[in-house]
Amino acid sequence: MSSRRRASRVLYPVAVGGLLLVVLFPVLWLVLFSLRTELDSFRMPPQLLVMPTLQNYVDLWESKFLRAFENSAVTATSTTVVSLLLGVPAAYALSRAGFRSERLLSFWVLATRMAPPIAFGIPFFLIYKELDLIDTRLGLVVIYLSFNLSLVIWMMRAFFDGLPRSLEEAAYIDGAGVVGAFVRVTLPLCAPGLATTAIFCFLLSWNDFFYSLILTRSEALTAPVAIVNFMNYESWEYGKISAGATLIMLPVVVFSLAVRRYLIRGLTAGAVKG
Amino acid sequence: MANVQLRGGIPRRRFLGGALGTAGVLATAGVAPAQTRRTSIKMMQVSHAYSNGLTAQLGEFEKKTGIKAEIDVMSFPVLNQRADLELASGSGAYDVIQMIFIRTGRWIRAGWAEPLTPYLERDKDVDLPDLVSGAVSPFRRGDTIYALPWLADSTVVGYRADLLDKAGYAKPPETFEALQEMAARIHTRDTAGFVTQDNLHWIWPNWLISYGGNFFANPPDDLTPRFDTPEAIRTAEMFTTLLARYSPPGGAKLNTAVIHAIMHQGKAAYYLDGFGNVQRIIDTTKTQLADRMAFSNTPSGPRGHFPQLAVHGYLINPASKKKEAAWEFLRWAVSKEVMLKNALEHGHMACTRSSVLNHPEVKKKYTWRGSDMPALHEAVMKRAGEGYMTYRTVPQFPPLGDRVIIALTAIASGQTSAADGMKALQRDAEALLRKEGVRIKG
Repeated sequence: MSSRRRASRVLYPVAVGGLLLVVLFPVLWLVLFSLRTELDSFRMPPQLLVMPTLQNYVDLWESKFLRAFENSAVTATSTTVVSLLLGVPAAYALSRAGFRSERLLSFWVLATRMAPPIAFGIPFFLIYKELDLIDTRLGLVVIYLSFNLSLVIWMMRAFFDGLPRSLEEAAYIDGAGVVGAFVRVTLPLCAPGLATTAIFCFLLSWNDFFYSLILTRSEALTAPVAIVNFMNYESWEYGKISAGATLIMLPVVVFSLAVRRYLIRGLTAGAVKG
Repeated sequence: MANVQLRGGIPRRRFLGGALGTAGVLATAGVAPAQTRRTSIKMMQVSHAYSNGLTAQLGEFEKKTGIKAEIDVMSFPVLNQRADLELASGSGAYDVIQMIFIRTGRWIRAGWAEPLTPYLERDKDVDLPDLVSGAVSPFRRGDTIYALPWLADSTVVGYRADLLDKAGYAKPPETFEALQEMAARIHTRDTAGFVTQDNLHWIWPNWLISYGGNFFANPPDDLTPRFDTPEAIRTAEMFTTLLARYSPPGGAKLNTAVIHAIMHQGKAAYYLDGFGNVQRIIDTTKTQLADRMAFSNTPSGPRGHFPQLAVHGYLINPASKKKEAAWEFLRWAVSKEVMLKNALEHGHMACTRSSVLNHPEVKKKYTWRGSDMPALHEAVMKRAGEGYMTYRTVPQFPPLGDRVIIALTAIASGQTSAADGMKALQRDAEALLRKEGVRIKG
C-alpha cells in the first residue's frame, strides 16, 4: 500500500468525523440543553459534562405539548397519505397520457408554490372562518395538501418519466389493465421515489409554522407553534423549548433512517444520464 | 364471497379497504372544536404569572357565575399575530382578548375594543379609582375606557450591592452620566457593568425623555418624528456606548431569559429592565446571589426622571356574542381578590391596584433588602400617568418601534455613528409615517 493511500485512509475518516461534528454540533447542543437544568444550561463558561436530568421532558409531558405533538403527527401523516394517493396517479397520468395541454397543466400545478405562504395567509383565514375550518385538523390537512400535491406530482412525474414504457406494455400483453400495470409493475419500481417524496411531504407538513400559527387556536395547534408558546412574557422556558425541539426531530430521524436505503436510491435516480 | 376484481386488476376488497382507510384518515383529521350548551367564553392572553393565577382560580369563577371560561395562553409573538388577525377579521372566537400596550391606539381607533364605560357605570364594585391612574390612562379616550389593566411593567434598576460597595458606591447612580462612569469603573471581562434587554425601543426612552427628547414632536397631536435632534443623538450615543462597551458580549441582543441567567451567575453588576422580571432575578432556586441584589429607581437626566411603563389590559371583543359573560369574566379577572391572590401565590408583582400594592402581606413579600418594591412600582405608575408615555400608544408606534431597534443595534454594533444612525432613522421614520397618513411638519 502506498504511503499516499495509507494517509488518505487515515485522513478521510478524520475529515468526515470533523465535518460531521461541525454539522451536528447544534443538534448535539440542543439535545444536551434538553437534559440540563436552566442553571446548568447558561453556566459560563459552558460545560459539556453535567449531571443530566429528564425534568424538562417530564414538564413537557404535563403540559399541553403532547396534544400539539399528536396534532402534528395526525396532520402530517394524513397529508402525506392523501397527497400520495392523489398526487401519484396524477403524476402517472401526466407522464403517460401525452395529451396536448400536458405542459400547461403541469405549469399550473406548480403555480400553487410560486408565491410565499404569507400571500395566501389572510385569504385562507377569511375563507376558513366562513367554512368553520379554523382550528381543525382537517383545515390544516387541506392547506398542506395545496402545496404538497404539486411537490408529489412534479417529483413522481420525473420518476415515471425515467421508467421505460415497455415494462408496462409487457404487463398489458400479460393481461393487466392500466391500473393493474401501474399498481403491480410501475409503482414497485418507483418505490425509492415514493419514499423520497413521502419524506419531503411529511417534512413540509411536520415543520410548518406559518399556517399553524394563523389557522389554529388551541384545539388543532401543532408542535412548532406550541414550542414558541414556551416563550413566556417574563422569560423563555429554554428547557421545555429544547426538549420539545428534540422530540420534534425524533419522528423525522426515525422515519428517515427507516427508509434511508430508498431515500439514497431515490435521490440519485436519474442523476446519471443514459 | 368471491373477491371480484375491478378493471385493471385491483381486488374490490382491497379497493374498499383502501377507500375506508382514506376516509378514516380524513375523519380523524377533521375533529372540530367541541361545542358546549352552557355559557362558555374564551380568552386569549400572553403566557405570564397572571395567566397561571387566573387558570388556577377558574373553578372559583365558574362556581360563582356559572360561566365556563377557557384561557388560551400563548407566547407574546404568537399573541401579537393572532390577536390582530382575530380582531381584524371580526371573528368572535375570543370574547376577551389581551389589550397589548403598543397596539392600544390602533385597536381603539379601529373599533376593535368594546367601550367598557356602560359596564363600569353599572357595576361600581370594580372600584376604578383603585386602579392606578397611569395604568388606566393608556386605555382611556376622553371619558371612555376600553380595557382594564392587569399588568403594568415599569422600568427599574437591579444591582449587586456588594460589587457597587466594593467600587465605592454606597447607592446606585442617580443620573445617566453617573451610571456610565460607574459601568466603566466596574466593568471587567468577568463582570459586565451594565445589562439590559433587547427591546431597545422601551429601554432607550428612559434616557431620551430624561434629556428632553421624544419620538414625536407632540404626541398624539403632532407625530412629526424627532430622531435627529441633539437630545436623540446624544442619548443614542450614551445608551449604545453602554451596550457596546460595558455589557456582556452581544449586549444589544440579549433577551430576558439570557439576562436572568447573566444576573443569576453574577456576570453583571447592574441591570435595567421591567419590574415584572424582578421576581425571576431573585429566584433563590436559581441563584445564590439573590441576597446580594438590591433594587432602585432608574436614573434621571437633566429634565428629570422618566421611567417607562408598559401596561397590558383585557378588552371585550366587539364581535363577541357573549358580551355580558365576557364582562363578568373581565371584572373578575382584575378584581382585588384575584389580583391579590396572584400577587401572593403566583409571583405577580407588577400589579395595577393600589389596594393590592399596599396590602401588608404584599409589602412584606416584596420588600427586598429594604427596597419597598410595591411602593417603587406604584410611584412609577403614577408618574407615567402624567402623560409622557403617550408616544407608545399612538397607532403608528408598532412599526416605528421596530425601526428604532434596528437603528440602535446598528449604532451599538459599530456599523454607523450615533449621528448618522439617528439621521437615517429620521428619514426612515418620516417616510413610514407619511405612508401612514401623518403630516410631517418642519
